[in-house]
Amino acid sequence: MTHRIWLITRREFLTTVSGKGFLIGLLVMPALILLLVFLVPRILTSRSPQVQGEVVVIDRAGDVLASLRTQLDPATIEARRAEGRRRSLERAAPGFGQAAPQAGGPPIPALTLVERGADTDLQQQKDWLARQIPGQRHLAFIVIQPDAVVRGEGKSDYGTYDLYIAAGLDDATVGVIHEGLRLSLVGSRLKASGVDPAAVETSMNVERPNPVIVATDGQQKSRTGFNRALPFIMGLLLFIGVITGGQTLMASTIEEKSNRVVEVLLAAVSPLELMWGKLLGQLSVSLLVMAVYIGLGVLGMFQFAIIGLLDPMLVVYLLLFFLITYLVFGALMLSIGAAVNQLADAQSFMGPIMLLLIAPYVMAPMIGQAPNSTFSVIASFVPPVNTFAMLARLASATPPPMWQVWLTMLVGLGAASACVWFAAKIFKVGLLMHGKPPNLATLIRWARMA
Amino acid sequence: MDAALEVKAVVKAFGAVRAVDGLDLTVPRGTTCGFIGPSGAGKTTAIRMIMSILFPDSGQLRVLGKPSALQAKDRIGYLPEERGVYRKMRVDAFLLYIAQLKGVAPDVARARSTKLLARLGLADAATKKCEDLSKGMLQRVQFIGSIINEPELLILDEPFSGLDPVSVKVLKDIVADEHKRGATILLSTHVMAQAEELCDQVIMINKGRKVLDEPMSGLRRQYDLRRILLEPLDLAADLTALREVPGVERVQLTADGCDIALAAGTDPAATMRAIAARVAPVRIELARVRLEDVFIRLVTEGAATDESAQALRTHLQGLSGEGVAS
Repeated sequence: MTHRIWLITRREFLTTVSGKGFLIGLLVMPALILLLVFLVPRILTSRSPQVQGEVVVIDRAGDVLASLRTQLDPATIEARRAEGRRRSLERAAPGFGQAAPQAGGPPIPALTLVERGADTDLQQQKDWLARQIPGQRHLAFIVIQPDAVVRGEGKSDYGTYDLYIAAGLDDATVGVIHEGLRLSLVGSRLKASGVDPAAVETSMNVERPNPVIVATDGQQKSRTGFNRALPFIMGLLLFIGVITGGQTLMASTIEEKSNRVVEVLLAAVSPLELMWGKLLGQLSVSLLVMAVYIGLGVLGMFQFAIIGLLDPMLVVYLLLFFLITYLVFGALMLSIGAAVNQLADAQSFMGPIMLLLIAPYVMAPMIGQAPNSTFSVIASFVPPVNTFAMLARLASATPPPMWQVWLTMLVGLGAASACVWFAAKIFKVGLLMHGKPPNLATLIRWARMA
Repeated sequence: MDAALEVKAVVKAFGAVRAVDGLDLTVPRGTTCGFIGPSGAGKTTAIRMIMSILFPDSGQLRVLGKPSALQAKDRIGYLPEERGVYRKMRVDAFLLYIAQLKGVAPDVARARSTKLLARLGLADAATKKCEDLSKGMLQRVQFIGSIINEPELLILDEPFSGLDPVSVKVLKDIVADEHKRGATILLSTHVMAQAEELCDQVIMINKGRKVLDEPMSGLRRQYDLRRILLEPLDLAADLTALREVPGVERVQLTADGCDIALAAGTDPAATMRAIAARVAPVRIELARVRLEDVFIRLVTEGAATDESAQALRTHLQGLSGEGVAS
């Protein structure tokens, strides 16, 4: 019996991994991630041309324009962006802020500031803005209110500014103008109050250290930044593993059924041997895929010397939970494959299964942020999302108690056994059934029949 | 004789339809047993239960002395009615895979596969993908898959359907060789002539029930329909006058002469002499029993009418694609 299961497993594995589709599939996922992370933002930004044109400033406060010129100078904008990127990366991966790319984001607008007198007629200015001249684009005009720097007598709040923009001006440029005005006004207000803006900036800057968790078994740095992405990464790996094996399992079963080769196989092996051989064959394929991705990830972490951030136990848990999740979804997809006659018929059954697979994704951020909330704890014990939920909690800043981990495994194993039992029943009956695809009631009847 | 196959009171229903309804059969070891009946009679369902591909609702089965084929699959060869292969797999790899699943060592499987492919004219197809073969070639490949483990029990479900006459002849020779080797063969067919030619026992089923289970020799004795076939020397001879010959019950004209039915208790030899005396023959012979006739007699017995018998005959002719003399 074991020999026959091994033969089927080996054939399933070799047939799948030797196909062109597998290699393409294996490369597609990393390629998509690279595309999303690096290429898409570049493509998006590279397509937006640099905005050039005039911005009229009516400085009724009197001393903001000079500062605004500095703040809207392309070199200042670029320096501000670079600092923003450095801080973001530092938050994500402490110690890596300096590695932030020096350039990026949409092109910096080339804004020519044109000063107009405080008594300029607004309507005239609006007409100017509406009247676009080729080669000299009118972008916006700003009216800085008289009390924007020095508060009016008896008033607790400062005045602000009004911004009028030309139709079609992009949000990024508007954002640059807003940010420039904010910084200019803050600087001017501080100066007017007799405070040195540089000193304020220095005193406002408090570096946020990585918190240290103190527990009975010693102390350790808490997970932040990069590690916060771990629940997502783990969930993604689980998803990829399950979907890789499950989809192929379903498709190959449908193919064997529609090719009628299944009866030839059943002449040599029992339905259960065939089912286990297929399940284990695709499990090996999924494990190979996950090993490749985990290997690439670990290699990358070594490359950036951040391997210490990864708890090796997480990989162990990932594999354990993967086995359980694979058996649950693999068995369900296998039974769908055995029940229907062609891939198109499987779509109606695949809908709920995909929902169940995607649901943990929606839940992952909630669980990551509050890993020990009632919702997170309950989700850890409700199959089939329990493995995803528990993995997200294990990868979070405050991992759950061990008894909960064991309970999740126990519940998961129970669910896996039930699904494999159900699949075995459907497999036994459905493989030789042709004609109209069954509905759920028929599947249940088959399960009772077998 | 020890039975290769025993089926007792087996029932299998699909919803309201009882595909197999209380079937009993015994196939002794070493025999070639025809399992015949029209399409939809329940043959394939019965075979699938024998193979433990389907499981009976009630009743018992013993296959090669085991309570289930699952315990003897390595010793059974099976060619299902629904032909199937892995389309992307090479022919030699497919045969090796099937052989290994049946417990044949890889080197033995390769040697047998090469030999059988050559015998069936498929030596050049060994390295081709299954999808590149014609339907007839695939059927021969599958036939090889069913005998590659040199089975003790060989179950062939409609093995000759869709094959050209040359391939049918080669397959019949191989079936005969398997029989000589000592294999028990269960040959399911709705072409009764094939069963007549190859089998030494015949089991007929209709609507899921067994209607006949006899050795061919006994069948000929029991269902001797006592018919004489005459081809006259003179094509213009008045054959209807033969009705007056004592013992002749009916004369049915055929394309090359006539088919004469004899009354019960008639001596065929004396009647043949009398017929030959009246009409000079090119050929005159006692017709052998035809399974179609036996089957028709069995299923239309009792409430039988000429119309229902004729309808069944037409149905059987349609299935077999062969003419049936009346």
